[in-house]
Amino acid sequence: MAGLGKNYKAGEVIFRQGDTGNCMFVIQDGEVEAIAESDGREFRLRTMGRNDFFGEMALFEEETRTATIRTTKPTRILSIDKKNFLGGIYEDPSLAFRLVQTMSHRIRDLTERLARYEQQK
Amino acid sequence: MTLGDGARIAVIGAGPAGSMFSYFFLSMAETIGLDVAIDIFEPRRFCHRGPAGCNHCGGIVSESLVQRLATEGIRLPDCVVQRGIESYTLHMDVGDVEIATPLMEKRIAAIYRGIGPRSSEPLETHSFDGYLLDLATQKGARVIPRLVTGLRREEDSMRVQCADQFTDSYELAVVATGVNSRLTEMLERESGEFARPDRTKTFICEFHLGRKVIRETFGPSMHVFLLDIPRLEFAALIPKGDYVTLCLLGDDIDEALIDKFFSAREVRERFPDGVIPGHVCHCYPRINIRSASPVCGDRLVFIGDSGTTRLFKDGIGAAYRTSKAAAKTAIFHGVSAEDFGNHYAPLCRRINNDNRVGKLVFRFATLVQKARFARRGILAMTAHEQRQTDSPRRMSGVLWDLFSGSASYTDVFLRTLHPAYLGALLWNLVAANLPGSPSGNGRAEKGGHGHVRH
Amino acid sequence: MSDTKTRQAAQVELPFQIFAQPSEKLPPCQARCPNSGDIRGWLGIIAQREKNGLSFDEACDKAWQRLVEFNPMPATIGRICPHPCEDLCTRREKDGAVSVNAMERFLGDWGLARGLELPQAPKERYRESIGVIGSGPASLSFAYQMARRGYDVTLYDKDDRPGGMLRHAIPDFRLPREILDAEVGRILGLTKSLVRNVDVGKDLSLDQLRTDHDLIFLGLGAQAARRLHIPGENGPGVVSGIDYLRQRKEGRESACGSRVLVIGGGNTAIDAARSVRREGASVTLVYRRSDSEMPAAAHEIEDARKEGIEFRYLSAPTRIIRDGDRVRQVEIQGMRLAEPDASGRRRPEPVPGKLEILAADSVIVAVSQAPGWHDAGSVLHADEWLRAEDDGRLEEDLLAGGDDLGPGIASRAIAQGRRAAESAHAQLRGLERPRSKPARPEISRGSVRIDFYAERQRSPASRLPEGEWLSRPNTEIDATLGDRQASEEAARCMSCGLCFDCQLCFMYCNAGGFTRLEETSPGQYFAMALDLCEGCGKCIELCPCGYLEAREDAR
Repeated sequence: MAGLGKNYKAGEVIFRQGDTGNCMFVIQDGEVEAIAESDGREFRLRTMGRNDFFGEMALFEEETRTATIRTTKPTRILSIDKKNFLGGIYEDPSLAFRLVQTMSHRIRDLTERLARYEQQK
Repeated sequence: MTLGDGARIAVIGAGPAGSMFSYFFLSMAETIGLDVAIDIFEPRRFCHRGPAGCNHCGGIVSESLVQRLATEGIRLPDCVVQRGIESYTLHMDVGDVEIATPLMEKRIAAIYRGIGPRSSEPLETHSFDGYLLDLATQKGARVIPRLVTGLRREEDSMRVQCADQFTDSYELAVVATGVNSRLTEMLERESGEFARPDRTKTFICEFHLGRKVIRETFGPSMHVFLLDIPRLEFAALIPKGDYVTLCLLGDDIDEALIDKFFSAREVRERFPDGVIPGHVCHCYPRINIRSASPVCGDRLVFIGDSGTTRLFKDGIGAAYRTSKAAAKTAIFHGVSAEDFGNHYAPLCRRINNDNRVGKLVFRFATLVQKARFARRGILAMTAHEQRQTDSPRRMSGVLWDLFSGSASYTDVFLRTLHPAYLGALLWNLVAANLPGSPSGNGRAEKGGHGHVRH
Repeated sequence: MSDTKTRQAAQVELPFQIFAQPSEKLPPCQARCPNSGDIRGWLGIIAQREKNGLSFDEACDKAWQRLVEFNPMPATIGRICPHPCEDLCTRREKDGAVSVNAMERFLGDWGLARGLELPQAPKERYRESIGVIGSGPASLSFAYQMARRGYDVTLYDKDDRPGGMLRHAIPDFRLPREILDAEVGRILGLTKSLVRNVDVGKDLSLDQLRTDHDLIFLGLGAQAARRLHIPGENGPGVVSGIDYLRQRKEGRESACGSRVLVIGGGNTAIDAARSVRREGASVTLVYRRSDSEMPAAAHEIEDARKEGIEFRYLSAPTRIIRDGDRVRQVEIQGMRLAEPDASGRRRPEPVPGKLEILAADSVIVAVSQAPGWHDAGSVLHADEWLRAEDDGRLEEDLLAGGDDLGPGIASRAIAQGRRAAESAHAQLRGLERPRSKPARPEISRGSVRIDFYAERQRSPASRLPEGEWLSRPNTEIDATLGDRQASEEAARCMSCGLCFDCQLCFMYCNAGGFTRLEETSPGQYFAMALDLCEGCGKCIELCPCGYLEAREDAR
């Protein structure tokens, strides 16, 4: 009974690439993987664990999901809705600080990967 | 008046406001490379059961606060969350209706401020306040287990005086004592320029029912009562682990009122065999019903309940907002009365203004409590909405936000003025009160699994 | 505690209510002090001085006054007491017991340095004349308590100088003689006279004294030493602990030789061992039980060990082997501890065949003391302890206290002298006889909430560097606490069972049920308004010292 969020079994899809949605998620417990689907093939972008965010792009731009999120083990996830989030940012922009930090990390990560990919090519 | 490297700050009180101020202040200081130290004065220990280790409230962390804390990276661990709440059940003489959260997700946390009532809860229970204090100490705050009995302004500092004659001076004093300590009263008397918050008496008690009974009779739902009892503004039963917390808010709750509440059929029906058991722990905590004034001065700021808070609901959310705003002001602007006046006081004013609207909304709720036909209308409208999956849920949303403290009172109020809401309400008032109407009496169906929020 | 009440009208159980009441309890220090000293009281005067508008000096004066109510020689007792008061100090579990003994000494020295006077006897004197035989701690305590109540007291001592065992048996490095002289002198100043060199039963009969005085107090001590009753014990080279210490105190060389065995495990044995070590001898202390049974104070044993004294436990001498007159060797029997007997004590018993010979030039026997008075008829029989009631009464006009009732520590002797005086005064004035035990119950373990107290480390007194202990044999090892140390040490007292103004109840009562008193003093800070009480019980749970408790009767 204790604990916040919603429970998912291992292997459940939280959302699929291309879905629409207007909330972000925070993992309370467990693990998920972010998967990019291209030409019917899956690429694992990253795995995320406790306290990590995903789906944050939907808060700021169009509401189409850019990757599929699937649990790798039993996982509990809390959703953050857009209205609450933006309301919070409006009163206190620093609320977005951690999110910006995470997004910045991800851009750095992707840039590095891209560079490696270019080299290999 | 700005804080430089080596500055020392005294935080008085380690409730949510004091701990969150310390946490955010030290986090921000770390980010910008400012070397500052925080001493949190707290003589009480949150590891004590019963009132000694408790900060007295119903123990609800609202949906909006849960989400904001999660965004900040603060996850409430399972040992702190006694029960995740996913719905509200509204009880009236004309029937009950359950209002559910989106996706049947547990987004409200039922917590203990201490580690539970006087008698025992399993050992894995952790205090919410204790957890926040741990976060602050992990950031480097130091806890000084002394009782502060006075604050004196000195030329370039604030001097903190303790009951055991310990004294020290700091560049900033942050008062986060709430309204259940006498410090604000003493400061009011000593300073002559500060008026402490107005308070009223509430009632909280704990019933031991056991996990099994709670799961079967209460579920992951907070039970709210709309009863025609004068002076009672809000009554709720909040399921925790082995206990259920009763919380009565209103105007000076006293024994007569409690007695009346316990006599109500709707209340007794919530308990096994309709018998209200003896409870194990009770208190009459005071709540802030009018802001302190002013909420700041040179090197001095009042946060959380000892400054201003939200009326009746989501006091911890208000503690979060005021503590963070005060921390930001102290770090990025300065610690003069003017700095706080420009960057901190506006938030307090916004909260105060919203509370004025809140009073109006509660007055309206009182009217509903008094009028049976209105109760029927509301029940019918909510029940209808809960059965639908796609249509907008105006009444459910209003009630949800009102009870859970998830949206501002102003927001709630504006939605009640929406023509569609008024139209639907009017229709339901008429329909529900027609002779032979099906929803006129008895229990409404349990709500569906759709969005309640608009 | 949980008192539930049913209201007929509503048919529901109303909240149970817990109402508080203040209730002073006996603290563990006072319960353990043989003299029932109000330790918490005099420490509180210093610790809470600022709350009560006293300067440090004023507070120390006042604390001294409180202290000497029961103990007129705090500088002396503060040096030599094995301080059982500290044994169960609640603070012990947290960061070490409060240094009560060091504080007593501090106040004792404070009183001497400031020339504070003992409570003055009333100008109006009672007509009864009081005779006190002996001038050890029991007699001095009795004399003081009688004199301050207005009686003329005459003391008789068989020695030239007053003080009894305090003077003769405690080495200078533990108790400088100026301190003893000053405190004894201060008490004698209240009395009519001290008659020196009078041995009762020899120079003066007890009957004669009973004719001269209306009431006699016997503080004869236990000046004879018990013997080992083993072969070779008689003759030169074997001396009792008290005789040895007395010689040393009189400044005489002992001629013990370079290898000395000390037999016994009490404070006299340790004092003798440490004294003879200062004469340059190598010393072995022989004790028949193990170290945990040793009655001497632990810190004395530790210091003795630091001085190079060797300890042989579970060993009993069986024979002293002489070469002509001279002691050469001592035969030692190995012992073991038997199963606990009815009294719970484990008696030592010989291990068959375990014998050992130790070389020795002399032997100091400090196994115990015995009555050392003359057979003087009436209650005084040679070799028999006096047997008195709790208040020291032997006969209508005859009371006793101190070691003549059986050996004990000085603090107990002072208590016996005081109780006898309280009883004598009551008798002479026709008052109700005082009760011997304090009426209040001792505070239960656990009702003091240790974690509410801030951590405060013990302030240790400075000591003579270890290297100088033996080279400066008559210099006191421990120094008296300084003012600042004393202030900090007093603040460590948790005031078990009595309000010390922590203000938690006042600060956190939701109903504002506590009001501060205008006139405050330790224990008296707040008034409680029961009609405001909301029965949540928070004040009781918050009260760190266990002063507030739940009332049995609920509303």
